Formats: sequence, structure tokens, C-alpha cells
Amino acid sequence: MSTNPVMRTEKLVKTYKTGSVETPALRGVDLELCRGEFTAVAGPSGSGKSTLLHLLGGLDRPTSGEIFLDGVLLSSLSRDALSRLRLEKIGFVFQAYNLIPVLTVLENTAFVLELRGVALRERIARARKILGELGIEKYANQFPSRISGGEQQRVAVARAVVAEPAIVLADEPTANLDSKTSLELIDLMRHLNSEHAATFLFATHDSRLLDRVSRLVTLEDGRIVRDEHRVQVATARV
Amino acid sequence: MKQAWRHLWRSRRRSLLTLFAVLIPVFILVLELGLLNGENKSLFENTVKFETGHLQIQKAGDRPEGGALPLIDDPERILGIVDHTPGIAWRTVRLDLPALASSGGRSQGILIQGVMPEEIGQVNPIGKLIAEGTYLRTGERGAVIGKELSSLLVAKVGDDLVLLGAHPDTGIGAANVPVAGVYTAPDPTLGRTVVQVDLGLAQTLARRPGAATSIVAFVSGVAGPWDAPKIDRVVKELRARLPSDYKVLDFRELAPDLKTFETVVRPIHVLFMAIFFILGGLVVLNTLFLSVMERTHELGVVLALGASRHRVMQMVLTEAFLLALVGAGIGALLGAGLVGLAESGGGLKLPGVYSDFARVMGMEPVLHMRVTLSELVMSGLAMVGVALLAAWVPARRAAALEPVEAMRHVD
Repeated sequence: MSTNPVMRTEKLVKTYKTGSVETPALRGVDLELCRGEFTAVAGPSGSGKSTLLHLLGGLDRPTSGEIFLDGVLLSSLSRDALSRLRLEKIGFVFQAYNLIPVLTVLENTAFVLELRGVALRERIARARKILGELGIEKYANQFPSRISGGEQQRVAVARAVVAEPAIVLADEPTANLDSKTSLELIDLMRHLNSEHAATFLFATHDSRLLDRVSRLVTLEDGRIVRDEHRVQVATARV
Repeated sequence: MKQAWRHLWRSRRRSLLTLFAVLIPVFILVLELGLLNGENKSLFENTVKFETGHLQIQKAGDRPEGGALPLIDDPERILGIVDHTPGIAWRTVRLDLPALASSGGRSQGILIQGVMPEEIGQVNPIGKLIAEGTYLRTGERGAVIGKELSSLLVAKVGDDLVLLGAHPDTGIGAANVPVAGVYTAPDPTLGRTVVQVDLGLAQTLARRPGAATSIVAFVSGVAGPWDAPKIDRVVKELRARLPSDYKVLDFRELAPDLKTFETVVRPIHVLFMAIFFILGGLVVLNTLFLSVMERTHELGVVLALGASRHRVMQMVLTEAFLLALVGAGIGALLGAGLVGLAESGGGLKLPGVYSDFARVMGMEPVLHMRVTLSELVMSGLAMVGVALLAAWVPARRAAALEPVEAMRHVD
């Protein structure tokens, strides 16, 4: 694992305002993620996990503080530049899979490559390769509605990693899956992390998944209360 | 493109509604154009065949409204020039003379057309519209009158008419002429006023043997008023070749009423169609707004994955484009099909009072329809343009979505 930081935050604060009521979600988060790390952000509901991932992913703007991705200060970017940065540097896995229903598994996987302007032949080849690696190539021509939740989430992972982003952010990726499927998915992500040196940061509140991570960041009330680097565990290929 | 197409299939009912909103205005526009072109062609053909030809050569000179045209004393010399002008399909000489027709104490102001029967019969339909008696023969003393004039003067085939012609250059000429035939005119005004006689008789009435008032010509390759540029080219050529004391007039100058069609009738129809197109556009706007609302979550995901605003706009506009293209295509084809069907049956015959009205307006009581490929394409493209314009608003709304907010939206 490289110690080269891919993402860094400084005194990250996010406060939501509803009328005159202010709800702090993050209260000064300093975090540095190195290339190739497989990190989980854990914490109870409302601890700020999703907010942190949204901010790191450039999907939302912090109230104060800074985020650097590959040395680029996110707050300095326009909306369009932020979109471009997301496209080129970040892969997303969402809790509800969020596949595009009118695209097949293959097309969903290749969608980000299409947005990047990769030629059709190349993006099909790359999408097929990653689907094969995740064991779901047989569903390539199926629409998401025809496959199970676990398989949909694998497609979402494939979509997130196919373009080889600097970091993959996964927000509660196993929340809608049963325990067995959850463990399989995490193992797959771990496999991609070790095989492709892909940097993963995922939020979870499922303690059973935490022994699979190399680093565990625990949030409580919008603050990092623990940041543990763990001994890497062996994972089974699913 | 594929994604947009599948989206359309996902919401079939809404797509179908939008399709109809696009299809119907185009369908109606094509029918409108078909009718307009058909009527325009009918008016054009009636005018050029009965009255003006595609062009006329006349002697230059001031002419009082409704008065006699200056006389051409040597039409053969002018015909020699005309015959060597490219583009002329047919020509003849004519002597038009305002006159008074009387029979049994009744009189009516008329226009005598002195014609060469064998020549004029090739284009002028009066010879084919003879209801009683016969048409003229060269050198024969006789007159062919319309049914309306026959009724006004109570003059039947074989009855004598007294024709009193007047020309300011030569004075008054008179002749006693039997009615050779009675024709049915498509226009009552024509039937009441136009009397055809042999050119020699007209020259007698004008008291100028060998003279004419105009050389009437047709231009080759002209199927309707839309071929006017071909006529214009020949007119220009003739103007260059003829002596300066002659003028060349095209059918628009000879029958200014034809312009009314272009300047009044067509703009009214265009306005009417614009309203239909705007209504179609509003339906497109409404349904695409609904589509964007329903897909807020999905559009949020697309934005989150890094799609640019331009790309999201493109997605919505592509849907509108596909719907409009298919709808306009079907509308144009249905319209063209109906036009073709109506024309294959000889046009749509107007019923009862509409038929009478058409005749009074100088039109055939049959609706002829005609639509060109370019008009079909333009009709379709106009609707596609309106649909894209209407889709711009929902497309902008989609592009302005904030990814996180949009992803919180529950489908």
C-alpha cells in the first residue's frame, strides 16, 4: 500500500439548515486516505457517515473546511468542473444500487466509460472484463430488474471500478443485502482493492463487515472518535 | 439514443400521448397544404387556360381599366421572335375586344376573344365544355357563349346575336353572328362575359384586318403556380428580344387576383397551423416535464456519476427529438397517404351548398389536393423544431438538478 494520500480533508464541517434550525452533521473532520487503502467508516445512524461520503464525492459542498482529491481543492471547482472530477476520479456505489433501469447490465457498467468518451469497442471490452471478474458476465444483457439485489449491487461495484477511479466511495453498499450476500460483496470489493490497488472508502453500520477492512474510521456525532489501521485479513474470492 | 428510446417505451402511455400531440398537427398541416396547393393549382389552371396563358405579349401603351388593348398590327413578326425563344411550349394570337352583345332587346357587356380555333383548342378548355351546339371552326361565322350569357340574353344555339365592338383606335364595328355553341364555365363570371369568335370576325369588329391584341403563350414544364420561376425566365428572355414598344406580362400581372391567394389565404392558414403547432409543443413540454419529475432520482444518479449538465439536457432533448421525429413522420405519411387517396379518386367532390359556393368563387366544385416531398419534410421538421423548443424547458430543469437532492427523490 502506498502512503501517497489520494484524498485529504481539513476541518470539514457540514451543518444543515432547516429554517432557523441548524443541524450539525460533521464537526471538523480531518481525514487522510492513502492510495490502495480499504477503509470503512462506521458509526451509528446519524453519525455523519453519508454526509462525509457525499462531501468527499463532491456531491455536496461543506459548510467550512477543505477537501483535496489528488491535490485538487474541491471547493475551488465550479459545478461543471466538479462533475468532471467525479467522472474522472471517483467511483460511486450507492445503498439502493441506483442502476439505470433502461440500460442492460453491460450498458450500466460501461455507462461511466461512455460519459468519459471511451470508444464503444473499448468500453464494451472493459465492461465485460470487470463483469467477468465479478462473476456476473452471464447477466450482461439482462436489465437490472431481472436480477437479484446482490447481483445488482455487484453491477454497481463494476460500474464504480470499471473506469479505474482514484477512489471508490460506497455508501452503505450492503444495507439492502442479506448477511451472506453482504460478506460476498465486501470480499469482492476487497479483491478489487488488492488486485487493482483500488482505493475504497465505504460507510457501514454492519459490524460483521469490519474485520475485512484494513482501516476503520469511527464517527460519532460528526466527529472521528477512532481511526484504526488493521492487519489485513485474507478474503475468499466469490 | 438507445437510452432515450427505451425511456419512451418505459412510459408508453405518456409517449403515445406526446406522439399524438406531434402527429396530429403535422397530419392536419399536410392536409391543409394539400388543399391549399390543390386550390392554388385549380385557380392557376382556370386563370391561365381560360384567360391569361402563362404570359402575354401586348403592345405597350396606356390602357384604361376594362378598355381595349392597343392593337398589334403585325403579329406575324412578333410570333417569329416568340417561336425562336427557348422555353415556349405553345403560343397563339388573340384579339380581345370589349363589346356589347344584344339579342331580342336584351343587352350585356361582354369581352370578345377572337381566337384561332384550331390552335386555342389545344389549351383553352371552352371547346371541351360545349354543352349545346359546336365549337368554332376557322373562318366560320359564329360565337360560342357561356350558359349564363345564354340565359341573360335568352339566346340559344342558332339564334343571332348582335355584337358591337369598340376600339379607341379604330372606332365601332358591328356584326350579326349566330350562336354556334353554349359552354359550361367553371366560373359564372366567365360564362357571363367571355364570348369566343373566330379571329377574323374579331378583326372585323375591331375594324383592323390582320391585327391582334396579344400573343398568348405557355411555357414548357409548368405544372402549377410553384413553377412560376420557369415562366419568369422566359419572360425575361422575351423582354430582351422584343422591340421596346412591346411588353411581356406574366400570369400574375395579368390576373392580380391570383396574388390574393398568396398574400391573404395562405397566411391565414399558416396562422391557423401555428396555433396547432404551439398546442402540440405545449403537450410535449407538459409530458416531458412529467417525465423529468418522475425520473428525478435517476437523473440525480446520472449527475452524481459525473454526467455534465449538457449531457443531461441532451438526454431529455433526445427523447423529445425521437418522439417528435416518429410522430411527425407518421403524421406526414398519413397526411400524404390521404392526399394521394383523395387524388386517386379524382379529388374530393364538394357537397351541396359548398359546391355552389366554390363555383361562385370561380373554383371547381372539387377539392384537388397536392403535396410535395419538400413540403412533407418541412412540415415534419417544423414540428420537430417546435417539440425541441418546448423540450428545452424541462431539459434545463433536469440539468439544473442537484445530485444529492435529486437522489433523495422517491420515484
